[in-house]
Amino acid sequence: MTAVARPLDSDRPLIGGGSLEAREISAWFGTNKVLERVSLEMPANTVTALIGPSGCGKSTFLRILNRMHELVSSAQLNGKVLLDGHDIYDSGHRITETRKRIGMVFQKPNPFPAMSIADNVTAGLKLSGVKTSRSEREEIIERSLTRAGLWKEVQDRLKQPGAALSGGQQQRLCIARSLAVDPEVLLMDEPCSALDPTSTRRVEETIHEIREQVTVVIVTHNMQQAARVSQQCAFFLAEQGTPGGIVESGLTEQIFNNPQDPRTADYVNGRFG
Amino acid sequence: MAASADLEVGAPVSGGVLVDVEIPGPGASAIVDPGSNLDGAAEFDAPRSIDPALPLVDRAFHGVARTIGLLVLVVMGSIGLFLGYQSLPTLQRYGLGFFTESQWQPENDVLGISGVLVGTFTIAIVALVIAFPLAITTAIYISEYATPKIKSLLVSMVDLMAAVPSIIWGLWGFALMQPKAAHVGHWLHTHLGFIPFFQVDTDPSAAPWAETKYYASAFVAGIAVAMMVLPMAAAVMRQVFAQAPIGEREAALALGSTKWGMIRTVVLPFGKGGIIGGTMLSMGRALGETIAVVLIISPAFDIKFRPLEIGTESVSALIAGRFGEATSAQLSALLTAGFVLFIITLVINTLAAMIVARSRSGASTD
Repeated sequence: MTAVARPLDSDRPLIGGGSLEAREISAWFGTNKVLERVSLEMPANTVTALIGPSGCGKSTFLRILNRMHELVSSAQLNGKVLLDGHDIYDSGHRITETRKRIGMVFQKPNPFPAMSIADNVTAGLKLSGVKTSRSEREEIIERSLTRAGLWKEVQDRLKQPGAALSGGQQQRLCIARSLAVDPEVLLMDEPCSALDPTSTRRVEETIHEIREQVTVVIVTHNMQQAARVSQQCAFFLAEQGTPGGIVESGLTEQIFNNPQDPRTADYVNGRFG
Repeated sequence: MAASADLEVGAPVSGGVLVDVEIPGPGASAIVDPGSNLDGAAEFDAPRSIDPALPLVDRAFHGVARTIGLLVLVVMGSIGLFLGYQSLPTLQRYGLGFFTESQWQPENDVLGISGVLVGTFTIAIVALVIAFPLAITTAIYISEYATPKIKSLLVSMVDLMAAVPSIIWGLWGFALMQPKAAHVGHWLHTHLGFIPFFQVDTDPSAAPWAETKYYASAFVAGIAVAMMVLPMAAAVMRQVFAQAPIGEREAALALGSTKWGMIRTVVLPFGKGGIIGGTMLSMGRALGETIAVVLIISPAFDIKFRPLEIGTESVSALIAGRFGEATSAQLSALLTAGFVLFIITLVINTLAAMIVARSRSGASTD
């Protein structure tokens, strides 16, 4: 961890994720309300899994957490998202800085195809205006790729285009790219749904390893995956014609072994969804 | 090798495979044509032939579409052949001199297109230098920044701009822009006159500066042509920019990029083919633009690289200006000039199409 890569928030320890808290989040697309008063605490250095059937607002909720929601022109929201106690929607917070501190990995791997593997990893530094020397860059490339579990596979071909990698490798490259800007929180929107089982396992191992430095919030449709990677779980549900919300949240063990709500029990046991 | 040979042999038999199998043919046929024999296929494992058996509707439409497609080629080819054939007498008479001589004086039997070609390219390049930055910024604004309302308004305005007749642009350049362009030219001459490109054959600091020396120039004509090629260039670029994958855009933004940073890393690299292709298509159009140029320039056949100065000539303006009073020999000379322009624009447009097709634009990203 170099101080250079994280120059703007020197008040927080260099190793360790940030804590994230959503308070009373409601969301709309046009006049269609998709989330109603959702509150969830995502403590530092835990992996929080958001589970639930399709269309229940998990991804919308996730995109609200780093201000990607507002990219859709009709999208609106209410509520607060606190990163280390500060509301990221406050007018004092720059949107670029917020997104840099709260990184995101998408469902479909999206490396920059015109860039080499190495350039992909450092793209975030360039885009957010962080000046780095050549040796720092090399160090960041190696460290980020190692953390994403990709270093051994690509260390001989860092100059090759990122688009030439397999789907699983591309997704880990995207994780490395997100980690290179040293975020406090990493949001993952079904990161394994386009990957084969072997690649999925590698990404899950990666999530395990980065938890020490980053708070992870992951949306997944895969119950086993949620049980394997997360410490905390939130079950989202949108019943017919109503906006989505959290039915139950708590420790993953509890959600899977001793759910309090019958709907949660039905879902985690595969009776619907 | 084996596969292609098999396809050729196998194709005609495809309908009659069953018959072939029923007759226990001698082993020799299996060796000659493995594809048509089941035993042979097992032994040689070569690709079998598949009869696509298109429905009649598909075959009919295929035929019509192919005929019309070929018609375009035939028309283009016949234009080229006609112009080439008509050019023969002129090319035989003047030979290579036709390409090196700058003057066009059919009455003195002195003919050449080097001066005209230089003028043509000067006007086109001036037009591109003006149109390119306008087109790319317009395209970026429309596809990335404009709100939906402004976007649809601007798109239709740009389309409308393309629908304005050339003659109107010519009048606009002649009556409205020319006096103003003369001031710009004078300013450029005064401050950048040490570069030969910006020189004009007059004294820029003379008390009443010779305004008309800056009239009727390649620069003024280039401004009018720029307005004509701008809509097409902007439309091509805008359409390519709009196709930049949403996944990559969001990836850049999620890394903490500004919008401009995202455009630089995702949209512009993705749109590179469209930028180059749109510019070259504009170049093709700018080279052939006729009536606006005729209105603005005053003919001059010298080879000169001073676009701010009065007097220039382009191939198409030359043809338009001399066509009416041409004798048959002069007509052949004009058609030869047209043939050269045809070949140049053909080459440029083909290159543009190749660049657009080769670029990643529009290709899927996974």
